[in-house]
Amino acid sequence: MTALTRRRFLAAGALAFALAGCASPRTASPGKLTLWYWTRGLSPAVLDEAAVRFAGAGFDPANVSHDLRHKLLATMSGGAYLPDMTMLNDDIAGYFGDADQFVDLNTMGAQRLRGDYLPWKWEAGTTPDGRLLGFPVDTGPAALFYRHDLFAQAGMPSEPDDVARAVATWEDYFAFGEELQRALPGRYLITDAKTVFTYSMAQEPRKYMDRQGRFIGDEEPVRRAWERALSAVRKGLTAGYFDNGSTTGSVDRHAAWTNGTELSLVNASWITGEIKESAPTTAGAWRLCRSPGGPGNQGGSFIAITRYCPQPQAAFEIVSWLLSPTNQARHYADVGIFPSAPAAFTDVTARQPDPFFGGQITADVFGESAKGVQPAYFSPWDIDISNCFTDELVNVESAGKDPQQAWRDARSAIDRLLQRSGVL
Amino acid sequence: MTDLLPRKAPSAPAVAQVPQRRRFRHLPQYLAISPFYILFLVFGAYPVFYSLYLALHRWDGIGPMQWIGLDNFALLVTDAEFWNAIGNTFIIWVMSTVPMTVLALLIALGLNSSIRFKGLYRIAYFMPNVTSVVAMAIVFSSVFSTEFGILNSFLSAIGLDPVGWLTDPWGIKVAISVMIIWRWVGYNAIIFLAGLQAIPADIYEAARIDGAGPVQTFFRVTLPLLRPVMLFSVVMSAINGMQVFTEAQVLVGDRGGVQDAGTTMVLYFYNMAFLENDFGYGAAIAWGIFVVVVIFAIINWRLIQRPERAEVSR
Repeated sequence: MTALTRRRFLAAGALAFALAGCASPRTASPGKLTLWYWTRGLSPAVLDEAAVRFAGAGFDPANVSHDLRHKLLATMSGGAYLPDMTMLNDDIAGYFGDADQFVDLNTMGAQRLRGDYLPWKWEAGTTPDGRLLGFPVDTGPAALFYRHDLFAQAGMPSEPDDVARAVATWEDYFAFGEELQRALPGRYLITDAKTVFTYSMAQEPRKYMDRQGRFIGDEEPVRRAWERALSAVRKGLTAGYFDNGSTTGSVDRHAAWTNGTELSLVNASWITGEIKESAPTTAGAWRLCRSPGGPGNQGGSFIAITRYCPQPQAAFEIVSWLLSPTNQARHYADVGIFPSAPAAFTDVTARQPDPFFGGQITADVFGESAKGVQPAYFSPWDIDISNCFTDELVNVESAGKDPQQAWRDARSAIDRLLQRSGVL
Repeated sequence: MTDLLPRKAPSAPAVAQVPQRRRFRHLPQYLAISPFYILFLVFGAYPVFYSLYLALHRWDGIGPMQWIGLDNFALLVTDAEFWNAIGNTFIIWVMSTVPMTVLALLIALGLNSSIRFKGLYRIAYFMPNVTSVVAMAIVFSSVFSTEFGILNSFLSAIGLDPVGWLTDPWGIKVAISVMIIWRWVGYNAIIFLAGLQAIPADIYEAARIDGAGPVQTFFRVTLPLLRPVMLFSVVMSAINGMQVFTEAQVLVGDRGGVQDAGTTMVLYFYNMAFLENDFGYGAAIAWGIFVVVVIFAIINWRLIQRPERAEVSR
């Protein structure tokens, strides 16, 4: 037996330290199949079931919450501790330039499942050269959320079908709002100018860039959305609560939901949970109907398999089970993320009457909207470009900036953005 | 386990080993201080130089880097948003440091006088400094909320017009400054208090015998003797003021609020690097911030040096 000396002990320690340092594994937990997801991104019940079902493959879901993107970028640039599977948000187009970092799900046989999912959603997860990077998780179909009780109090149409008919277009909606606000002074039709712009754009099949990488934000869809947002401000229909996405930015908005200052809002399905949580006393007073201007989508996530996953086929089996139409209905029932598989819209689990909306079956309204969305091309810069426009709309609305100047400033900000990114 | 037994001292051959040994004579000492230098090299020096390298590239954080030379810096000097961020940072620094210093001094004077529950007050004033900023931002946004904030209901109650604290460009700056003041006033008061207690009592006694009133004593004795402590506090607040980030981000969001009124230098850097995934430009902004801080430090240093030089020449 060799004697344990201090020197040997230190040498052994240093060696172990060095080895541990050099041999950082490619994936987060070798021997397992890790899935990174965020809170309320997937149903915990479905994940628990999957962990049991795929225990043999070593399925290991890990909640990395809202830091997911930063952690993913860090592990990708370091090439170590990568998750085998990861959720990606609606900024998925930002990863298209680095599609080689992910498994092309088409090579795993994803095509045979294609028919189960909404075509536009499937396309949004596909790179321009046809690789399927992200498997569809949820969608964000837009609808009009409104206060049934206050609409009725004002003597206006208040049942979902009647309201939908009365506010078929944005122009109708604004006219409706003016009448409504005359009957209910001190209350507002809609949150802010930004909402109008965002959800107008959500309905457009052409966004900010075309497939050839040309900026088309000067053209009709964006101009129309911009003018529409300005007209809502000019008519005094927006409250300007300015939900700035900060931790606390929506204090005013939450209060406005509770005390009925905000009469309606056009928003994607994912806001439902926030309304329920921040205005519990208004339960039963809300209704949903088709959004003015028609169906649109805002947001929605995907699951991708990273390139270093040692068993991509096994990982794909897990992903396709997690996101099967049946399980998508469960995700919706549990955490409120709206399905991307039409079969889930009619699933009895998803079609539960919601007492918060007076017993309305919300899945029907969102489902109609989701089915009507048109496929669109999203460039990697779409979200940043959209932010440039909405920042300036906030300036017009809150600080009284000249709209023409605001448009020019938005355009020059976008030029700089595209210049920095090497597009211009 | 023979190795653990005391060894016999080596005899004659040791003389020959001396030159060899001299080189490593200080090795244990170097080894003992090496953890700091190793950690500094890995986590301090390397990122600094790497960020300079990064600033010369276009990089989205995943794919290959693309060499673009000084393009990022050329963009930076013409970037109105960056200049605006520099301006905001300085305005917020002045708006927070000046009232904070005065307030901290008043609190320190109060704590230094003979009152009861001194320890309790000291803890109470220091608490904000160790409270989570994000948690406090929730409280502060309820205070500053336009429609339903405490501050605006108070203003309405005394017959004044409500202010859009978080929707008005100046309101945003005030709100951020107030949050900084709230967080740092207790910390500085404790520092001032230590300075006050270090002033010898016989100087006050001499001042009293010479017939100085309390006001005169304060301006002729206390303030001059507190000067080193106040300089420390101003330098500290400058260091913190150049790095303001959390307060702005939690109050007005990543985009900096209306007319970018809350965009500080570091918030802008964070936006570009971590939200728009433009790490090259982010690194260039970081170096821009570095240059601004260096210039500021030189100005600061010259201002601090001047009175002493004057004294020497006199």
